Amino acid sequence: MKQFKLIVSLLLSIVLVIGCADPKILERVGIVTLIGYDAGEEDKVTVTSVVRQVNPDYQSTVNTHTETEATGEKTRLKVNLESSKKIVAGQMRVVLFGEDIAKEGLDEMLHALIMNSEISTSIYVAVVEDSAQTLIEGQYKNVTDIGQHIYGIIEHNIEQQNAVSSTLHEVVRDFYSPLRDPLIPIVKKNGENIEISGTALFHKGAMVGEFPIEDTLYLMMVRGKFRHGTLELELPSEGLSAKDDLETIPISIDSIKSYRQMKLVDPAVPEFDLKVIVQCRLLEIHSSISTADRTIVEKLEKGINKILESEISRIVNKSIELHSDHFGFGEKYRADTRNAKLTEEEWHEIYKNLKVNVKVQSTIVRDGVFE
Amino acid sequence: MKNSLHISLNQKINAFLLIVIVNACQIGVGIHGFQRVVYQDAKQDAWIAVILSFIYAHFVAFIMIKTLKMFQDQDLYGIHQMIFGKYFGNFLNSLYVLYCSFAFVSIIINYKEVINTWVFPHLASSFLYISLLIIVIYTFTGGFRIIIGISTINFLFTLAIPIILLVPLKYANINSLLPILDNDMINLLKGVYSMTFTIAGFELINFIYPNVKEKSKVGKYVHIGLLTTLFVYLTTMLIALTYFNGEQLNKLIWATLSMLSMIKLPFFERIEILIICGWMIIILPNLCIYLWAAYRGVIRIKSISPNKFVWSFSIVIFILTLFINTRSQIEMVNNIFSKIAFIIVFIYPFILFIFALIKKLFTKRKVQNDETI
Repeated sequence: MKQFKLIVSLLLSIVLVIGCADPKILERVGIVTLIGYDAGEEDKVTVTSVVRQVNPDYQSTVNTHTETEATGEKTRLKVNLESSKKIVAGQMRVVLFGEDIAKEGLDEMLHALIMNSEISTSIYVAVVEDSAQTLIEGQYKNVTDIGQHIYGIIEHNIEQQNAVSSTLHEVVRDFYSPLRDPLIPIVKKNGENIEISGTALFHKGAMVGEFPIEDTLYLMMVRGKFRHGTLELELPSEGLSAKDDLETIPISIDSIKSYRQMKLVDPAVPEFDLKVIVQCRLLEIHSSISTADRTIVEKLEKGINKILESEISRIVNKSIELHSDHFGFGEKYRADTRNAKLTEEEWHEIYKNLKVNVKVQSTIVRDGVFE
Repeated sequence: MKNSLHISLNQKINAFLLIVIVNACQIGVGIHGFQRVVYQDAKQDAWIAVILSFIYAHFVAFIMIKTLKMFQDQDLYGIHQMIFGKYFGNFLNSLYVLYCSFAFVSIIINYKEVINTWVFPHLASSFLYISLLIIVIYTFTGGFRIIIGISTINFLFTLAIPIILLVPLKYANINSLLPILDNDMINLLKGVYSMTFTIAGFELINFIYPNVKEKSKVGKYVHIGLLTTLFVYLTTMLIALTYFNGEQLNKLIWATLSMLSMIKLPFFERIEILIICGWMIIILPNLCIYLWAAYRGVIRIKSISPNKFVWSFSIVIFILTLFINTRSQIEMVNNIFSKIAFIIVFIYPFILFIFALIKKLFTKRKVQNDETI
């Protein structure tokens, strides 16, 4: 009984003391919701952070701080010195990289982010056209919390597959892979708005080029499973329309389901077969064309195939030219060849001569309610 | 010399609880980051190394139970004394007690490291040790059945891990597993060897055996227990291999926890924090059973009350752990423990089995000789 009392009292004291282990009371901390990195002078980085402070009496305030230091942690110290509350990073949602620093390479920043256990790997990474600081410090209509705003833009567009998915985990995974490069969306300040303007291509952690936003759809098709997305295409009118005055027929399709198959045909070249299977829905078409006719639908499908094939080939070839293997050809190559023991340098050498045969197989599954 | 154990019926357990016990003993701190250690050698075939290591473990468990069945109602300490005599037997017993204490220390320091890295970076490690040790003392003084009861809660918790890990599957890339068996056999075997730290724990059936009611069913339930652990380890390994890239996995200290940090719930953003804190329930039976096994050994050498034993043991452990602070020291302890565990868990049972056979042969002959005279 004596021992029982002793243990209970010890446990009780533990419970009482453990509450004070490392308190982070919401009203007494400044929460970093967004961080932007830019290249500063002399190998230093300029870090712009958005700090949200919750106030029990008033509306919560959002401040931005900019500091230039050699390491991220040192800038945190400086922000702490300026701030009336302790700065914590556990609620960070987005990391932005300025274009200049992205072109220099993201190695050190990504390494620091992934090392820190305070930061979740589900946060989003994006590249900013121009500098991150001007984007974050800009004035926008009806935006009180810039951190939350940018997070919203990126998150819902990634969910809807309007932009490539770039969680910290995916970026770091591709970044550390010797055979793959990451793909990160670009955000841009456009007057009083912020928008996603394209996709950045990387080679060994440094940005080497970009795709405009119109190409995102094709990128997503090649990267894997794809569900959303609308396409406007102009098909040549030959044999489709009864009227001869139209040269091209604009149509609009909506991809319902798409997936890709990648096959290594010849490891010596190396040569890949890339097959994209698209099931789509017809949204808009010229009124003179009757989709009830099976042959017309087939012709439409053929026309769609041709356009998609040329677009996808263009994108794949551009990636090869820029030495950015973000589609994972290297991983597929390693997975399909035995005893390859492929090193990073070898693969980059091979990648230059990569040959990809693109084939698209589209099916119009349904059209509207009126033929 | 008190050789046979007298275990009252209320200290005995049903055989099917061995599933829970084997599971509780095996799954502890190793699962947090075993993927990396195995991957370093076995590369994309790490999951095959996991399966191979379990096949070997099944074989070892089979031999262990065979040995135990030769000596009715004895645990390993009793068998030692019967085969090797009082002095050498006691020497081996004290080695085994040291091994159990070593396992205890290694679990407790690894858990402390995880807590300090993920949840409370500034928390004093001695504070963590004291709170852990007090809970262990509390459970241990409750008796054997309480320890087994806690193992049951732990069992449900561990089976939830593969279900939680279904969420990161969204980012899985099956190409990382290919090409299958593209490594040297030696590297694969090295991977099997690296599993030692993670897979050790089932050797404790050596001490639980006398407390089991139906002796004939022990084998069956121990093997089922090993299979459930295999299931948990295999799923965590496969998901980690596909979720991470190889190079990345090489650098990740706790791959399982890193995977969990991806999961976001609407009402709870960082689920890994909750799971790490709840992990105390998973390591608690682990610690208690090792402690209990050490106690069984100590009373063979010197009779001591459980209360006195557990308090003095905890104080010694607490002082020992104060010397181990940095990550590199912990790595070193883990490496030494792996080596010792490999000998004790995976090699020694065979040696003991041979000695037991010889002993059996001699006693039989002696009995026959006695009868003829």
